[in-house]
Amino acid sequence: MSHSAEYWLEALHGLGFKRPVRIMNVCGGHERTISLAGLRGAIPGNIELVPGPGCPVCICPEEDVFEAIQLALHEDIILVTFGDMLRVPVNVPKREPRSLEQARAAGGDIRPIASPSEAVRIAKENASRRVVFFAAGFETTTAPVAAMLAEGAPDNLLVLLSGRLTWPAIAMLLDSEKAGFDALIAPGHVATVMGPEEWQFVVDKHNIPAAVAGFRPDTLLAAMYSVLRQLKDGKRFLDNCYQEVVLPGGNREAQRQLNEVMQVGDANWRGVGVIPDSGFALRDSFAAHDARRHFRAYADDSRKRVGEMPPGCDCARVVLGKIYPNQCRLYGLGCTPRKPIGPCMVSDEGACRIWWSSGYRENEWEGRKKRQSVG
Amino acid sequence: MCLAVPMQIKTIDDFQCVCEARGIEREVSLFMLQGEEIGPGDFVLVHVGYAIQKVSAEDAASSWELFDEILAADA
Repeated sequence: MSHSAEYWLEALHGLGFKRPVRIMNVCGGHERTISLAGLRGAIPGNIELVPGPGCPVCICPEEDVFEAIQLALHEDIILVTFGDMLRVPVNVPKREPRSLEQARAAGGDIRPIASPSEAVRIAKENASRRVVFFAAGFETTTAPVAAMLAEGAPDNLLVLLSGRLTWPAIAMLLDSEKAGFDALIAPGHVATVMGPEEWQFVVDKHNIPAAVAGFRPDTLLAAMYSVLRQLKDGKRFLDNCYQEVVLPGGNREAQRQLNEVMQVGDANWRGVGVIPDSGFALRDSFAAHDARRHFRAYADDSRKRVGEMPPGCDCARVVLGKIYPNQCRLYGLGCTPRKPIGPCMVSDEGACRIWWSSGYRENEWEGRKKRQSVG
Repeated sequence: MCLAVPMQIKTIDDFQCVCEARGIEREVSLFMLQGEEIGPGDFVLVHVGYAIQKVSAEDAASSWELFDEILAADA
C-alpha cells in the first residue's frame, strides 16, 4: 500500500458520501488498530465502525471451557492452552473453579503456551503423561494446530479442538433479517491462510461491498474508502487492500494440511448457537490425538443450555455487532479487565477489552443515568 | 489471537528456523510454507510460532511501525 493513512483519511472526507453507513469488521486485530489509532474520531461522522464476530475466545463454547477445566481437575493430565483462555469464565456454582486459572489454583496442572510447538515440547518432556492441548481459534490459529498434527505429534499429545471458521458467522448474519451492516472489512490473516475468495459470497450473494484489510491504519482506511466508493458508485466487488500478504488462493499448503487433519461441521458458538459448517473437528485418521474421543464428556447436554454467557452479560450481542461494548450494562462497572465477567472483557481480541484498553471508559447506561439525575 | 508479526529468518534446520525481530529471537516452524523458496535473510509473517506467509523487507518494516505504536500504548 503506497498511500499513507493521511491520504486515505483525506480521500474518505473528499468522497462526499453522506448517507449513514455501518461497516463491520470481524477481527480483533482490526478493532484494536481502529480503537488505538482513534480512527472513529477521524473519519466522517456518518460512518459507523462496528466490531463483529472477531474474537475466537469470546465465542468458544462454554461447555468446552468447562470440559477443559474438568479434564485438568479429574484426569492425570497436563492441560496446555493459549494464555487468553485461562481467565474465560464458565457458569458454575460459587464453590467450583469458574476458569482454568482458578482450576490451576485448585491443583490442576495447567500451562499457558504461545505456540503449538510448545505443546509438542511439553509432551516430549513428559512422555509418561498425557498432554491435552485445548485449542480454540479461528482459521489462522487452527491451521498451525493442523500443521502440528500433520507433521507428526507425540502419541501422548491430545487436542481438545474448538476451532471455528469466521465466514459462516457473517453468512448467518447476512441470512438473518437484520444483518446490521452495509459493508464488510474482511480479516487479513484469515484471508492470508484461506484465500480472499472465501468472502466473495458477501458481494455475490448479498450485494454488500467487501474489502480485505491488513492491520495498519492505512490499509484499514483504504478498505473503508473502497467499500464506501463501491456504495457510492453502485458497483460491488471484493477488494484486496492487503495484497502484499493476501495472495489469490491463500496459503494452499496450509489449507492442504487443514483438510488432511480436520473436517468442517456444524458447531456451537457461545451466546450465538449452532452455526452450520462453522467448526473444525479432527478426522477419524487423527482419532488417536482427539481428546474428545479419548476422555468421557464431562459436559452433558444440559451444560449446553446453561452454557451461555454469564447472567447480565451482553457479550453475545457485542460479538454479533448488535450493540457496542459500552452499551452493555456491566461494561466498566461490574466488568473490567481486572475483574472480567464476560469473555469479551477477558481476551485481547474481545471488543470490550480493546475498548477499555483504548480508553473508552463511559458506560452508556451509566452516562444516561447521570444525565437523567442531573436533569 | 490472529495477530501475526513479521520476523527475519536467521538460520534454517529442516522445517524449523530461528527468526529475529527487534533483537528478539524465536524458533519458528516453516511447515506451512514447505514448497516455498525460502532462506536466511527472508522475512516471514509469524503467527503462534508458525510462518504463514512470506513478506517483503519493506512490508515487514512498515508493519513494525504499527507494533511499536501498540507497544508504546501498552507501556
